[in-house]
Amino acid sequence: MNKKKLYSAWFLVPTLLVFGTLFLLPMATSFFFSLTVWNLRDFTFVGLENFKMFLKEGSLNIGIRNTLVYALCGCSMKLVLAFFIAVFLNSGIRSKHLLRAVVFFPNLVSTVAVGITFKALMHPSKGLFNRVLELMGLARVDWLGNPDLALFSVVGTDVWKGVGVATVIYIAGMQAIDKTYYEAAAIDGATGAQRLLYLTLPLCRPAMHSVMILAFIGGLRSFDLIWSMTGGGPGFATDVLASVIYKQYAEGFYGLSTAGNVIMLGLIMLLAFPLQKFLLSREAD
Amino acid sequence: MKRRYARLLAGLTAVMMLAGCGAPEEQKNRGASAEGEGSGGSAGTADVSDTSAADEGSGEKGAGDGGWDYQEDTLTLLIDSDASQAGLLAVCDLAKEKLGITVEIETRVGGPDGRNIVKTRLASGDMSDLCIFNSGCLLGELSPGEYFIDLSDEPWADQLEDTFRDAASVDGKLYGIPFAASTAGLVLYNREIYEEYQLKVPATWDEFMENCEVLKENGETALIGSFGTMWTAQVPYLGDHYNVIAQEPDFAAGFQAGTAKYASTAAALRSFEKLEATVPYYNEDYMATGYDDGCEMLANGEGAHWIVLSGALANIYELYGEEVNKIGGFAIPGDDAADNGLTVWMPSGIYGNKNSEHADSIKRFMEFYISEEAIQAYSEALLPEGPYVIKGVELPENAYTAVKDMAAYYDSGKVTTAMEFQCQIKGANCGAICQECVSGQITGAQAAAKYDEDCKKQALQLGISWE
Repeated sequence: MNKKKLYSAWFLVPTLLVFGTLFLLPMATSFFFSLTVWNLRDFTFVGLENFKMFLKEGSLNIGIRNTLVYALCGCSMKLVLAFFIAVFLNSGIRSKHLLRAVVFFPNLVSTVAVGITFKALMHPSKGLFNRVLELMGLARVDWLGNPDLALFSVVGTDVWKGVGVATVIYIAGMQAIDKTYYEAAAIDGATGAQRLLYLTLPLCRPAMHSVMILAFIGGLRSFDLIWSMTGGGPGFATDVLASVIYKQYAEGFYGLSTAGNVIMLGLIMLLAFPLQKFLLSREAD
Repeated sequence: MKRRYARLLAGLTAVMMLAGCGAPEEQKNRGASAEGEGSGGSAGTADVSDTSAADEGSGEKGAGDGGWDYQEDTLTLLIDSDASQAGLLAVCDLAKEKLGITVEIETRVGGPDGRNIVKTRLASGDMSDLCIFNSGCLLGELSPGEYFIDLSDEPWADQLEDTFRDAASVDGKLYGIPFAASTAGLVLYNREIYEEYQLKVPATWDEFMENCEVLKENGETALIGSFGTMWTAQVPYLGDHYNVIAQEPDFAAGFQAGTAKYASTAAALRSFEKLEATVPYYNEDYMATGYDDGCEMLANGEGAHWIVLSGALANIYELYGEEVNKIGGFAIPGDDAADNGLTVWMPSGIYGNKNSEHADSIKRFMEFYISEEAIQAYSEALLPEGPYVIKGVELPENAYTAVKDMAAYYDSGKVTTAMEFQCQIKGANCGAICQECVSGQITGAQAAAKYDEDCKKQALQLGISWE
């Protein structure tokens, strides 16, 4: 019995080795270096100074707020939009296969390319968006230059890019719903809206949960889109945790940026694990 | 086997003789170097003399003309893409002809991303042979002693002006040669627009604001904002340093020691207040306008003023040719008309990779780069953006109008170096904070306080106690 256990344990060794050297070890060292002022060669131990600075200073802790806003807005918009697109694409329309491909297409483009393209589209005087607005007789919008709007402009781009994946997950979930439910509902005289509300919505809940978790965690650690569109600006208005950490790293504040990474790891764990647990518990019944 | 040792020894002797006594001789000869004999050190002759040097152990390597050693080699050079390269390319072409050194240029982005690339490449041992990077306090962040060749004892390094020597030295050791001429942070203005509205070059900040107001009322873009390129946002504040120092001569030292702060020193706070005062006058799309757009706007008269580094002149010249002489320049005005001066930046340095296998060629290239011959080639391709920092080299006759305007400040001694050459601490988020201020999110006073706070990180990193 014991021998058998040992035998099977050997299969875990390669995985553990990779996991240990590439994940556990760096994590332990990063916990250590987050407590130091470090220039890659030597370090000075400063206790919790880096964490204090990170949480106290406006240009650093704005990242935490913006990350949450970004993740929540992006996640909820994808959740709702993708649901309706999926319902539409799951109906009997003729070109649905083509449309499914079209909806998924933005996801195939590199994020940085999307960022640069949208930055050009959102240019206040030369961008296509404002040209169209002007043709329609509307005022120009400073999409990325207005500090109150910039973050939401980036969120919008993120939704455009990410809604395809969410839609595909929804479609898969909806196709798994047994057709007999709909037949029964039709016989009972349920309207389209009732079928949507009382059949489709509750029955594709597992798909919805997957979308939620994926979009939320993806939003928490997003970086590339923001960096290519605004670089965190104007000022710090669109800085998220990842971009703040990157900037500290780029400036050579290795200890401080490591502390930021530890905070980000903690934040993601703190939010994602309970969320997943909550969603799983709801799926059970 | 024995023969191999002998060859090695011979080669070593040759190198040592070259390093030991070759250099001063070359320097004597250089003045007399004639340009016509360009092809003197062709590849063929070099190969012959090269082998003979190794075999006979003689110090005469390459019969290059004008006293330059000719030995073929290839060096890589890393430069940021915002820098104008025409001058560098001209010198590289000449170096290939005279020294046999081919320079392969790699580009990187400018700003914080670019600094990150340099730091990462240094730390990972992947740096090119030559690297162009800021002088001043940013150089100190790279720990140059670990990575760059120490040039302090090179005889040719004496040609460098002391101000540059200081800026390219860390702990008393010199690491770089000037990549270009010095630059200044100043107000560039379109002279045609000034004539059209009969404006005078302002002597004080209030007069400057009045000029802007006149232009604004007439529907012109009074100030060009190019804050899509983040570093340009900090120039109005950084370029105001002369006015700070004029009133508080000890400010830089006090700031380094942690006793003086921007927020609590009236003269220094004024720099940020002025930044805030510029907000109403920018072009509508100022947050999306980039550096190159700014050059275009100024050259085409789409904007009247642009507060930027004089390096923009070279960029404008490359893109729009003679239009550049429509542009004049004046120092960022202060409150005292009698004591207003220019804040200057030492040029970026060219640094040699200590771990390169081509150390000898790197030094040969550097010595050549600051020779009169090379500077002439440089300024034929690209006129200087300010006075040179090499002793005895004067501005050429056909210098840009704005550079001649700048020279007037030098002549009257109303010049000081920027904060980053007087104090080791430069806040990492300087550009972003200024951007935040000009986009109207915070006031000038808040920006000053925020910048003080931001600098704490750098102080902590450098081990300077500010408590």
